[in-house]
Amino acid sequence: MPTPQPDRPGAVLTVRELRKTFTLHTIDGRTVVSLDGVDLDVAAGEHVAVAGPSGAGKSSLLRCIHRSYLPDSGSVLLHTPDGPVELTALPDRALARLRGREIGYVSQFLTPPPRTGPLDVVAAAARRRGLAPAEARDAAAESLHRLGLDEALWDVDCGVLSGGERQRINLAAGTVRPPRLLLLDEPVSALDPRNRERALQLIASLTDQGVAVVAVFHDLDAMRQLATRVVQMTDARIVAEGPARDILGAVA
Amino acid sequence: MAARLSEPRTGSTRVLSLLDDGRTDAPPGILDEGAKREIRRATLTAVCVPGYQVPFGSREMPVARGWGSGGLQVTLGVVGSGDVLKVIDQGDDGGVNATNLRRMISSTMGCAATTDTREATVVQTRHRVPEEALGAEQIVVYQVPVPEPLRGVEKSVAECARMHAEQDYSAMWVSLYEDLVRNGVITKSTGYPVLVGGRYVMATSPVPRWDVPRLHMSEHLNLYGAGREKRIYAIPPHTAVEPLTFDDVPFEVEHIPDGTCAYCGSDDTFLVEASGGQYVCSDSDWCGRAADGDVDRAAHRERVPLAWLPDPRRRVAATARDTAEAPRPAAGVRPTAAADGPEWALRVDGIGKVHGPGGAAAVPGTGPEHATAISPATGAVVAAWDVSFDVAPGEALGLIGESGSGKSTVLRCVIGDETATAGSVRLSGVDGGRTDVLALDPSARRGLRVDTMAVVYQDPAAGLDLNVTAGGNIAERLTAAGWRGYHAIRRRVAELLDRVEVPLSRMDDAVGTFSGGMRQRVQIAKALATEPPVLLLDEPTTGLDASVAAGVLDLLRGLLIERNVAAVVVSHDFAVIEALTERSVVMQLGRVIESGLTDQLFRDPHHPYTQRLVAAARR
Repeated sequence: MPTPQPDRPGAVLTVRELRKTFTLHTIDGRTVVSLDGVDLDVAAGEHVAVAGPSGAGKSSLLRCIHRSYLPDSGSVLLHTPDGPVELTALPDRALARLRGREIGYVSQFLTPPPRTGPLDVVAAAARRRGLAPAEARDAAAESLHRLGLDEALWDVDCGVLSGGERQRINLAAGTVRPPRLLLLDEPVSALDPRNRERALQLIASLTDQGVAVVAVFHDLDAMRQLATRVVQMTDARIVAEGPARDILGAVA
Repeated sequence: MAARLSEPRTGSTRVLSLLDDGRTDAPPGILDEGAKREIRRATLTAVCVPGYQVPFGSREMPVARGWGSGGLQVTLGVVGSGDVLKVIDQGDDGGVNATNLRRMISSTMGCAATTDTREATVVQTRHRVPEEALGAEQIVVYQVPVPEPLRGVEKSVAECARMHAEQDYSAMWVSLYEDLVRNGVITKSTGYPVLVGGRYVMATSPVPRWDVPRLHMSEHLNLYGAGREKRIYAIPPHTAVEPLTFDDVPFEVEHIPDGTCAYCGSDDTFLVEASGGQYVCSDSDWCGRAADGDVDRAAHRERVPLAWLPDPRRRVAATARDTAEAPRPAAGVRPTAAADGPEWALRVDGIGKVHGPGGAAAVPGTGPEHATAISPATGAVVAAWDVSFDVAPGEALGLIGESGSGKSTVLRCVIGDETATAGSVRLSGVDGGRTDVLALDPSARRGLRVDTMAVVYQDPAAGLDLNVTAGGNIAERLTAAGWRGYHAIRRRVAELLDRVEVPLSRMDDAVGTFSGGMRQRVQIAKALATEPPVLLLDEPTTGLDASVAAGVLDLLRGLLIERNVAAVVVSHDFAVIEALTERSVVMQLGRVIESGLTDQLFRDPHHPYTQRLVAAARR
């Protein structure tokens, strides 16, 4: 178990005793425990990789932090210039605004608004982070360039694009005008080696800029390349934590 | 000089005395004193409230209703034995109707009769105001066939009364707009609508537009009587009478270019066509005296409406280009979110609606935990109860649930289509959110729908008049908000239609000729016309086929992003809610069972009902 260090300098995220249980009312009301008391600290410029087998609760952890899952109990503190904010207790509207400004969430699959082009999707994300319309389009264009998305596709409906293209759009939207906290859930799973490398470079550069990253990768190389720290999850709990080579070496 | 007619008082009196069964002491007359009092009372009220139609107890008259029975009663009510009566029909003193009415009134009332306007104290007329000058000693009584100026745009008498009471004349403005669109000029001739004393819109009834300027600040008293509809109204002396027209569209009178009277040679009177392609004055008294040289032509020329002769250069087709920068009404003062004001634009607290007996007492025993919305105590249907939410500018809130869960009821209570049984609704734009708008009177609530809170219904026919053009439907909202520039309205309509992707070539087509998706776009354009801070969408894409619904959904999403409106979206379709909203409220059997961020409700629904809805949406 990690030692809580809520007051260390540069703290961005402090998670304590986070629990999440699903009650499946449509299937005989059974319950599934997804997080069973998770603690996590992430500082600015830190890249924490969450490792573990499928079903260990890695994605649930990211979603409970983002609050697309509503945690049952526990604390998720985001440290902002205005002071710490308890995300689990934040009113919905305030959370929606805070998410737009401070938190990037990149899921494995892009679910963009239907019939919208990549440039619009990314520019909309940039606008939520506070950019004016014209600046937002410039930032979106830069971001898409950086991830190597063919300019001919920028105004094509995202729904017709390939999985790898969509994933890059998603990553561009999550990282444009970098947020304080970036949550990555398998962001490069569908990319070919060349684009994967571009994406990993982008993520690494964000960490260098001081973004706090919590990421789930299935691929160990990515974790070794990017993570400043790895937490190992099994059965809804964090069972080990440390530098990448220690943890991943132990797993391998 | 026309001779005063002296006619025997035998005809009618003889008939009456037969009816009176031999009583010879009964005064001659058609109306008893009680009936006259009723008419005088209504007439005095009408004079006190210029342009307002006063109901009165109309009697049976010896003429058919709609043929002058109202004018006849007013004349009988105001005329006395010292009066001198003149009767005009179609501008003619000598017609059968005019002659018979004149004889009947003068013989039964004991007053003198004349055809000379200068001698008359009471002029009963149909179709004309005499060409001769009228003075303070004279009363003109009009026989009115249709007293209600709004009849052409609204069939319901009660609704017309409401429109007058609230000075809600946008439907009238739409009919003028439509006329201009279709014909390039306002074609309405007789009965031209005027605004009397800056308050009531009134039908000038049978007179041509030529005579309308004569009513403005007149010296004489105008009384209008409609027997069939049992209404009396008046234009007292020195009252402002303005013909309704757009600021940039001049009022026009009828004009026959180079027309002169074949009899007296006048070229500045109201002419009507006679046989053989010739024209004659529509005023037999004036015409006869003009031929004899017994009129003051110079003074007459000062009275006639030469300033309003048609001028093609000032018609809308010619001025469309000149007025590119015509002013619009100043946008309503939109309170921006003040530092101490509420962060929400709309706040709903504890809204409830019970259909049936019992009110709040019917509520126990209903709701999801009892699996019914029907009160076990009273049998009333509890359509919604204790529903609360708020929406901020730039935010969209979803209201989701199956059909019958009460979401549309809540929306109807908020907009005012239904009366809520309980709860309150506040708008930051109304008194800084301190006033419960449910407590406002119906007229104030209706006013909110003009520029504060707009609704888009599932059925476009509920929000649009399908017989009116796309432009006219949008003009209705704009004129209600005070727009009076025809070209400014046209430009604004074009902007809005362009935004909702309706081709401008369809702007002047009746909405009834549009497809469902296009109608919905027009309805959205109308809702946005005055840029209301709150927008309510009730199943905006339900009933459209999938590809059309997708287009409308894209449009709405774009609009919600680009305008800083607070929107409430009601839908049973999770895909619509997910595409449009950030936060949602889930309703079942009239109650809120879950609320939260839309993505959280979709990914992590807690309530069994929400889980079922989401599972259904994923299929």
